[in-house]
Parts: sequence; structure tokens; C-alpha cells
Amino acid sequence: MKKRYSREKKHRSGEIPTGSFSDIAFLLIIYFLVATTLVKVKTITADLPAGEKTSQPQSDKTPIVNLRGAEVFLNDKKVTMDALNERLAALELAAQDPSKRVVMLESARGTPYENYFQALAAISAHDGVVAIVEEDE
Amino acid sequence: MKRIPQRKKRRTVPVPIASMGDIAFLLIIFFLVCSEVTKDRSDLQVTLPFSEHVEKIQASVVARVAMDESGEIYFDGVRVDGAKDVEWGVRALLTNTVADDQRHVQFKCDAALPKETFEPVLKAIAEAGGIIEAVGEKGE
Repeated sequence: MKKRYSREKKHRSGEIPTGSFSDIAFLLIIYFLVATTLVKVKTITADLPAGEKTSQPQSDKTPIVNLRGAEVFLNDKKVTMDALNERLAALELAAQDPSKRVVMLESARGTPYENYFQALAAISAHDGVVAIVEEDE
Repeated sequence: MKRIPQRKKRRTVPVPIASMGDIAFLLIIFFLVCSEVTKDRSDLQVTLPFSEHVEKIQASVVARVAMDESGEIYFDGVRVDGAKDVEWGVRALLTNTVADDQRHVQFKCDAALPKETFEPVLKAIAEAGGIIEAVGEKGE
């Protein structure tokens, strides 16, 4: 007759194998570094004042940039975008009192964002405060 | 008397690697805490406008507003119905904001969109108190 030997359970040490932890961690780091895309977009900053509607006429000295389709007008004179930059630079808005830095931006219906953006960029680059002129309904 | 030259024992120098796991996990935690998950939609069909004045954004933005070529408005990657939704969204985010640095709102818009489409959104951001960071590309 076969004798049954009761197998004794081996006492295992309850240690968790941590030898590969650093490998796992470094693999995770590499994964995050590879999967990350560092986005740094290029922008222009424009702080448009949240103004209230007013029917009062603006001071004569307030420059008005008018966009009509692809054409740009500064104080009702047709200018190119380069000329607009030069004229705005000549105004030296940075040296002016904040209340006198206002540049009105008016645009006709259908004006593409491309032109609007360039005018906005030109005004902001020369420290102007953009005031959007709204059309009457 | 002759001296027997003793052989130099080669000692194995163990590099302490016990703390490598801790260091690595600390690095992971550091990256996770410092990283900012973008809420911007990368699959939007947007042709960016060009300007010579654009610069790399320095401030961190509180919200991202985008308008694709069909005029759809996205607020932090979620499509919204109109400019009013953008205004409320930005206003809600800026409720407890005091510093100017925390008022920047990124605005990405297709270059071909007409004024009637994008201007209400610009005004909405301004009305809500946001400083517009209009995204463009460097060029003439």
C-alpha cells in the first residue's frame, strides 16, 4: 500500500518582488515623454475693453481703422497693412495716457478674419487699446 | 627571505539601485503634476491667419475657444451653440479671478471666416472679461 505523505506547505516569504519596479517606472516615464506634445502656440494679445454702447461721438483725435473687405483705411484714408503699422508706430501710443491709446476698429460685413487679425495685431503691437465699433441694426 | 606577492583581491563595487524605483516614481509624479492636459481639439479644420506680430504665448490660458471653417464654435473642445455660451463659460471661469494673468483666453479662428461669424465671439470673450490671445502664424 502506498503511503501517502502529507505534503507540507512550503513557507514562502511574503516579500513582494520589487526588483523590476524601477524598470517599470522608467518605462512609464519614457512613455509619458514620448506621448507628450509640447504645444506653444503663437498669438497676439488683445485686451478688448468690455465697453457699453454709446452714441456719443468720439474725440476727433481717436484713430479709426476701417476694414472694408481686403482694403484698410486709417482715418478714411486708404493704406496698406505696412503703412498702417508705420502710422500706428508714429502715434507712439505706448507713451500716451491709457485713455488716449484707444484705436477704433470698424469692419464691413464680410471682412475675412485674416484682415481683421492683421489689423488687431498691428494695433496691439503698438500698444493700442482696440475698441470695436458696432454697426447699428 | 622571499616575499610571496599577495594577489590583490578584486572587490565588486555594488551600485546602490535600491532607491532607483523611488526616484523614477517621483519623476513620474513630477511630470504628472506639472503637465497640463490640453482641452483643445487638434482635429479641427482651421487655417490660421498670418501676421508679423505674433509671438509665442507666455501666459497660461484659462479657456480655449475655437471656430472651424464652417463657423462651428468650440469651447474647451466642446461644441457650443453660440457666442452667448462662450460668454457664460468664460464668465464662469473668471468668477474668482483677480489677477490679469489669469484672464487670458485663447481664440483660434479660421482665416476665411467673415466678420459676422467671428466678431460676436470676440465680443463675448471681451464682455466676459477675458484677454484675447488670438492664435496665428508668423508671416507677412
